[in-house]
Amino acid sequence: MKTFELASEPKIESGFKTPEHYFDTFSARVMQQLPKEEPKIISIFSKRKTWFYAAAAILILGLSIPTYNQFNSSSTEIDDATLENYLAYNASVSGTDLVNLLDSEDIQKMSVDLNIGDKTIEDELTGNKNLEYYLLN
Amino acid sequence: MQEEKKFIEDLLNPKTQNQAFEILLKNFQKPLYNHIRNIVLNHDDADDVLQNTFVKVFQNLGKFKGESKLFSWMYRIATNEALTFLSKKAKSGRVSSEALQSKTIDNLQADVYFDGNEIQIKLQRAIAILPEKQQLVFKMKYFEELKYEEISEIVGTSVGALKASYHIAVKKIESFVKTN
Repeated sequence: MKTFELASEPKIESGFKTPEHYFDTFSARVMQQLPKEEPKIISIFSKRKTWFYAAAAILILGLSIPTYNQFNSSSTEIDDATLENYLAYNASVSGTDLVNLLDSEDIQKMSVDLNIGDKTIEDELTGNKNLEYYLLN
Repeated sequence: MQEEKKFIEDLLNPKTQNQAFEILLKNFQKPLYNHIRNIVLNHDDADDVLQNTFVKVFQNLGKFKGESKLFSWMYRIATNEALTFLSKKAKSGRVSSEALQSKTIDNLQADVYFDGNEIQIKLQRAIAILPEKQQLVFKMKYFEELKYEEISEIVGTSVGALKASYHIAVKKIESFVKTN
């Protein structure tokens, strides 16, 4: 039996050939087949989603603010209206008591708040039929 | 390595992509053609698979992580494309992949793009009896003259296992040639 050893034999080529100029035109053919860059498509649903989340956030905020206020109003602090009503209808606190409680700072504040000019006072006084009576007493 | 990193950046940058891809084509078209042709054997099929390979490489550039070399990544794509092509062809012809390979070898003699004699045909027949992985290793080592390290990167098998695989393949081929 004859021996056959690949390593000692001359190299056996594959024998595969290509058409002439095959590789000269190959790259151009491939370049034509490459997908062109497409404009980026943003799904309408993703935009809708953003709006949906925004609306949901506003809705939650809108509902939570009145609820928060409602819970807060039940606090132990007395609001202005309750205090005023108490003072007005409680007989044990007289007008004089209130005046006595005012200090000079309070009075100054009141004059700023009311801001009545001299002319207004004059007009008011001349329009008052009882002015003479007041002046005489 | 630094050069390859820069080249990969050019391939990923839309401004330089086409120019870089043409360079890639010029550098790899011949070795990848040979690799594919050794698997599919016939020129027209090799042409189809080679085109698909480059289109696929282009489409997947964004997924190339640089963990492996560009070279081995492209060879892997080419190998997968060629093997998938053969299994589809066998399926559509309703024959086994072994029968398809045998028929393709029969047709080689009439192929205008095959310039071989009896010994080349016999070698192809001997290769055909090997399991798929051994065929691949043998072709890459013997015909394409790739280094074991390169083959290892492509097929993901250790160099030692590849050497053993090649050795077994050579023994089987030698015994086939002697007895036929």
